[in-house]
Amino acid sequence: MRYLTIALSKGRLTDLTMDLLEGIGVDCTEYKNASRKLIFTDEKNKIKFFLCKPADVPTYVEYGAADIGIVGKDTLLEEGRHLYEVLNLGFAACRMVLAGPAELAGKLDQLNNKRVATKYPRIAREYFEHKRRESIEVIKLNGSVELAPLVGLSEVIVDLVESGRTLKENGLVVLDTIAEISARMVVNRVSMKMESERINRMIEGLKKQLEVVGT
Amino acid sequence: MSKWKIYTPEGVQDILFDECYLKRNLEEKIRNLFRSCGYYEVETPTIEFYDTFSVDDGLVPQETMFKFFDQQGRILVLRPDITVPVARITATKFKEMPYPLRYSYIGNVFRYNDYGGGKQNEFTQAGIETLGISTPESDAEVIAIAIRALQAAGLENFQIDIGQVEFFKGLMEETELAEEDIGQIRSMIDRKDFVGLQEFLRSNEIREDLKKLILDLPGLFGSTDVIDRVKTLTSNRRSLEALENVRQVLEILEDYGLSQYVSVDLGMLKGLNYDTGILFRGFTYGVGFPILTGGRYDRLVESFGRECPATGFSLGINLIMMALQRQKVAIEKPSVDSLICYAGVGRKTAFELCGVLRKQGLVVEMDISSAGVDAVKEYARKKGIGGVLYVSGQDTIEIHDLHTQEVKKTSVRELLEGGSI
Repeated sequence: MRYLTIALSKGRLTDLTMDLLEGIGVDCTEYKNASRKLIFTDEKNKIKFFLCKPADVPTYVEYGAADIGIVGKDTLLEEGRHLYEVLNLGFAACRMVLAGPAELAGKLDQLNNKRVATKYPRIAREYFEHKRRESIEVIKLNGSVELAPLVGLSEVIVDLVESGRTLKENGLVVLDTIAEISARMVVNRVSMKMESERINRMIEGLKKQLEVVGT
Repeated sequence: MSKWKIYTPEGVQDILFDECYLKRNLEEKIRNLFRSCGYYEVETPTIEFYDTFSVDDGLVPQETMFKFFDQQGRILVLRPDITVPVARITATKFKEMPYPLRYSYIGNVFRYNDYGGGKQNEFTQAGIETLGISTPESDAEVIAIAIRALQAAGLENFQIDIGQVEFFKGLMEETELAEEDIGQIRSMIDRKDFVGLQEFLRSNEIREDLKKLILDLPGLFGSTDVIDRVKTLTSNRRSLEALENVRQVLEILEDYGLSQYVSVDLGMLKGLNYDTGILFRGFTYGVGFPILTGGRYDRLVESFGRECPATGFSLGINLIMMALQRQKVAIEKPSVDSLICYAGVGRKTAFELCGVLRKQGLVVEMDISSAGVDAVKEYARKKGIGGVLYVSGQDTIEIHDLHTQEVKKTSVRELLEGGSI
C-alpha cells in the first residue's frame, strides 16, 4: 500500500486537527513526542503527515506532494489552487469581510477611487471585480490591516474578523461579508481518483467525528 | 544589458540527453500507435492569430496566452493547444474529404500558469481528433487509443474517468438559473467543492429533489454502477440521454477489453464551454495533475463556419515522463557501444571499420581528440562506453574491453568476420 500524505497548517489549526485525526484512528504519537522530525509517520495506517505554513498547504496538495491538506478557507480562496475541497471541518470559524469607517456604510458606491488594504489581495480583487463589478487599487499589507484606514493609507480593508472587537475599538464597521471561513479538508485531484477508497473512508470518518463533537 | 543571458525564462526547460532520449522514444511509440490506427499526422503553426482562440467567449482564457503583434499590428499568440487549430483546418480545408477525418499531432504548446503541463509554460502534447462523426463508437475509439497510448508509454497503473457534460446541462435547464450562476455551480462541482455548493443551493430557489441531486453530483463517481444508481434519481430527458450515452461508450470499451481502466465521474465538468458530450481525464500515481484530457466538442468547428461534430484527446508527454520516473518504470537511456581511435596509418581503416559497425546497428563514436589511446580510454570509461577499438596499423586492431580490462589483438578481417566485439 502507498503512503497517504497529509499536509497540516502550522498554527491555530494544528492541535484541533490532531485531535480529529486521532479520533479517526491515526497514530499521532510521533508528533506528540515533539521530536525534531519534519515528517511524522503512522506505519500501521500507512499515513505520513507534516506541518507547514498554512499558505503552503494548497501548493503541496495541488502538486500532489501531499494527497490531503487541512487548511483555512481564507487560504484556499487566496491561493486559488486546483484542488478538491471535500469537507468543512467547522472549527476556526470566522468571516472574511469588507470593513471601513462607519461613515462609509451605505455610501461605498459614492467613493470613486477605492484603495483597499489587505493581507488577501486576490480575495479583495475577486470580490470587487465579480460582486461589485469595479476596479480597485489593492495595497498589500502583512499585518494590523485595521491601521490602514486610520492613517489614510486606504479607504477600506478586506480582512478576517472573529468577534469584531478590534474593528469596533478602532471605529471601523463591517460593510459587507465576503465569505464564511473555517478549516477545510482538501484533496489532490489525482489522489481523489487513485486512492478514492481510502480517502472516502477518511472523509466519512471525519464526518462522524465532527457529528460527535458537534452534539 | 545582458543580465539575463545565462538564464531561461520561467516555465521553460532544457531537455538534456537522457530525458530527451526518453522523450523522443515516447513520441515515437505514440506516433506509431496513432499511425497504426489510421490517424494522419498534421503540423500546425506555432504562431496563430489571437482571434482563432478567442472565437468563443472563454474558449481559452486570454490571460493564459503568450501574445505579441505582427507587422500590421494584429495580435498573435503562441498556440495554447492544437485542438482548436485542427478545428480551424477542418472548417476551412479538406472540404471534399469523406468523414470521419482522423488527425493526430505531436507538438509543443504554450500557456501561462496552466496545470496541463504540470505548471510548465511550454510543454509537449500528443493527441488525436476525430471529426465528422458523433457516434458512441467514435468516443470509445478515442478513449481506447488514449489507453493504448499510456500503455505504449510504459504506464500500467492509471485510470481514465469518464463524464458527460450533457447530464449536468440537463439538470441546469430544469433549475432555470442564470448563465452566471450555472457557471459558478459548474466550477464548484468540478472542484468537488461540497461546502460552497451547499451554501449556494441554500440561497437559491430550486426544487428539493433537484437540489439534492446537484449536491450529490461531486460525489457521483466510481464504478459503472453509478449510472444505474443515478438513473432512478432524475427524469430529465437530456440527462437521461447523457447517462445512456455513457453506458453505451462503456459497453463498447468492454468489448475492447479495457474496462479495468475506466470509471465514471458525472461530476467532472471542465471549464470549457465547447464541451458537448463525453469528456474524460486520465490519472496516474506520482503526478498530481491529469496526464490526459479529452472529450466531445460538437460546437467548436461550427464557430469557424462549418458544422461538424468532433471528439479527441491530448496527453502531456512531459507529465508521462514525470510519471515514469516517479513510478520507477525502467527507462531506456542513450548509450555508445564502442569508440574507435587510431594511429596515423590506421585512419582510413578506422573510418571503414566505423562505417561497417554503424551499418550493423551499433552506436559507434570516432575519436576526434587525437589524445592517444590512454586518454581516450579514460574518456570512454567516464562516459560508460563498453569498449575501445584502437586501429594501430592498416590491418591491426587492439580491442580494449573496459569492463574486464582485457586487451586483445586482432585484424580488421578477423574482427568483422567474427562478428563480435
